[in-house]
Amino acid sequence: MQDIRTIGIPRGLLFYQYGVLWQRFLEELGYQVEVSAPTDRAIFDAGEAASVDEVCLASKTYMGHVAALLDGGRCDAIFVPSYDSADVRAGFCTKYQSLPDLVAATFADRMPQLITMRVSKANDRKQAKADFLELGRRLGAAPRRVAHAYKVAQRAQDAADAAAAAAQQETLHLLDKYRKVAASDPTGAEQPPLAILLVAHPYIAHDPYIAGDILAAIERLGGTVIFADQTDHAAAFKRSFDFSDTLPWLINRQLAGAITMLHQQVDGIVLLSAFPCGPDSMFDDAIMRNVQGVPILNLMIDAQSGSAGVETRLESFIDILRFQGKGAYLHG
Amino acid sequence: MADTKKAAPVQGTARLQSTVHAQGMMQAQNTAHAQGVAQTQGMTQARAEDATVNVPISDDARTQVVFQRDEPRRAIPFPRLKKKVKRDRHKRTKVSIFRYAYYDPAFKFFVEQVLDCDYLQLPKATKRTMELGIQNSSDYVCTPFKHMMGDWIEALEMGADILVQVGGPCRLGYYGEMQEQILRDMGYDFTMLNFSHGIEQGYLGWGREVLKMVNPDIAIPHGVKQLLACGHMVTLLDRARDFYMANGGFECHHGDFHRAWEGLLDAMRATTTKAQIDQAFADAMAEMRAIPIDKPNDPVRIGIIGELYTAIDENSNLGLDEKLMDMGVEVARTLNFSNRYTHYNEENMRRTIAEYVEYDMGPTSTMTLAAAKKYAQLGFDGLVHAKCAGCTPEIDCIPVLRRISEDFHVPVLYLTYDTETSDTGLMTRLEAFYDMLAMKKEAK
Repeated sequence: MQDIRTIGIPRGLLFYQYGVLWQRFLEELGYQVEVSAPTDRAIFDAGEAASVDEVCLASKTYMGHVAALLDGGRCDAIFVPSYDSADVRAGFCTKYQSLPDLVAATFADRMPQLITMRVSKANDRKQAKADFLELGRRLGAAPRRVAHAYKVAQRAQDAADAAAAAAQQETLHLLDKYRKVAASDPTGAEQPPLAILLVAHPYIAHDPYIAGDILAAIERLGGTVIFADQTDHAAAFKRSFDFSDTLPWLINRQLAGAITMLHQQVDGIVLLSAFPCGPDSMFDDAIMRNVQGVPILNLMIDAQSGSAGVETRLESFIDILRFQGKGAYLHG
Repeated sequence: MADTKKAAPVQGTARLQSTVHAQGMMQAQNTAHAQGVAQTQGMTQARAEDATVNVPISDDARTQVVFQRDEPRRAIPFPRLKKKVKRDRHKRTKVSIFRYAYYDPAFKFFVEQVLDCDYLQLPKATKRTMELGIQNSSDYVCTPFKHMMGDWIEALEMGADILVQVGGPCRLGYYGEMQEQILRDMGYDFTMLNFSHGIEQGYLGWGREVLKMVNPDIAIPHGVKQLLACGHMVTLLDRARDFYMANGGFECHHGDFHRAWEGLLDAMRATTTKAQIDQAFADAMAEMRAIPIDKPNDPVRIGIIGELYTAIDENSNLGLDEKLMDMGVEVARTLNFSNRYTHYNEENMRRTIAEYVEYDMGPTSTMTLAAAKKYAQLGFDGLVHAKCAGCTPEIDCIPVLRRISEDFHVPVLYLTYDTETSDTGLMTRLEAFYDMLAMKKEAK
């Protein structure tokens, strides 16, 4: 571990949830950090070629990013953490748990140097800190430096999350104002805004290759996208227990909490899942059954999907929302 | 009325007088005094029957009286301090558990002996079960969910009051809540005992859940004892199955082993105590050992690995182990309920595959990989990896299995079962796999 100078982080899966923390932590320990470029066709194809057919789209993308870092040749090691489900109510899909071993086995012939760690309870600050301190110790840094690095990194992550949550509140507030203005317009020419809550794992919602087309289409059709994963995480997690007692996954809990908190402030919900996402195969069903009163569109993306089909579905969905906004069937 | 009222004190005096005659003069005076107050103190008189009453006795005598016990001490009637909370009655609610391989005797034992309720035995699954399951599940959820949905609907149609769902570290942990919701949306009324609840507190939480949801009258010490016996039954069933799979392919008369196995299941279904379980196991093993077999010295050996539900459950893997046995294969399967739950040490098992994996990769991944490596080292001819469609942890095992397969030169057949898997298609693949292994063996 002594000759490592540059550490690569694949821009996939939990990078979108904890990336700031990882990057800052490693930087504070004195490493150069290289995050792979945003997903494109080439990265995805490389990942698909390296993966077993049956894995989910997000996993294939992740493998593509690992391959890109390996091909780039600038990294001495790649950071692949394992987030597991020791916390039964705030765990992770087994995909994240097996990730280090999966990467090692997938790229066994290239023998990548991996920096791995186990985060057993991501939602438990004390435990997470202990896990990162252990990683720092393994990397050979002085304990004081590791503790400081973790403190700075965690603060940066919290600040990033808080900024996203604040921006979301601001957007909701503006939409509310705008709605009032549109309602008070006597001519009725003013079109009220459409707030669309996008419910997706962060690595789906913020990946330009996977969800870029969909976000662009919603904006083009006049909708404003509110990301469910940007709601205040702690508050959303707490609220998610109103939605479900036994939902085992942290990210899905945050999404469920966000829906519970925001469903009255938005005009429609778009559920976006990568095929075949394990947690979402049940979570989407639960949302469709339990969330009433807001129109929901359930979209599934796989590697083959062209954007035309998705756009048609979005267009009709937004037409329905507009129709509802005008009073729909009530006022004929 | 008046006569009877009078009679009581008079009778008392008469008895008193008879004792007086037996005693000396001094006592007679005392009793005469007693006679005077007899009318008012009926009760104290009765006690005065004792000859020692009112006799001054020395301290020595008193100690003698206290310590000399000629007759055994009698229990003193004591007022019951605590109200009895448990009622000794068997609860007449019908409890059903999903179909799972050959474990229904253990489920029956659990319901009848631990939960102290009636067990609703489901008949063999049919095509209709599967269709009901598919219709009422989300389309890309893993296949066991669909099988279980079919089981629940059939159980409720047959009059089940309580359904029992287990918890687990993967999607299984969310099965219970989701299935309960779907069944309620369909309009069924029932109670679901979901072991995903109370999981934070472990056994204590589950115990509370059982008392709350199913039967508050369970006698806890008895329940615990029977729960251990139930675990014992699972272990014995697995042991018998291992013997069956190792030898079933070589029986001289087709069907002998299957008959003995079914006999074992029937005998286990009738047991109520651990002693009976042991007896049923001993009888069945004696019967199976007595079956004449014609086993070559070096038969084709195949190890089954995979996911906990599909690799074991013959309904969802279309009788994978029996199909292999029918071809004359010695089958081994480390993966079973007792090896995964009743005695399982994940970390130590992971030590055996330290060169392949560093972390726990999921619910049964460590067992899959450790078993694969063990079979490869033991010189097995091939491995069959059986999983349901969409099982994330087992899919993630595949790249590691490929490495094991390369390192030990052992072929692996990867089978993914979904609801459409055809029996013929499976048979073709298995036959081809067997032919390849047999030819490779001959060439050696």
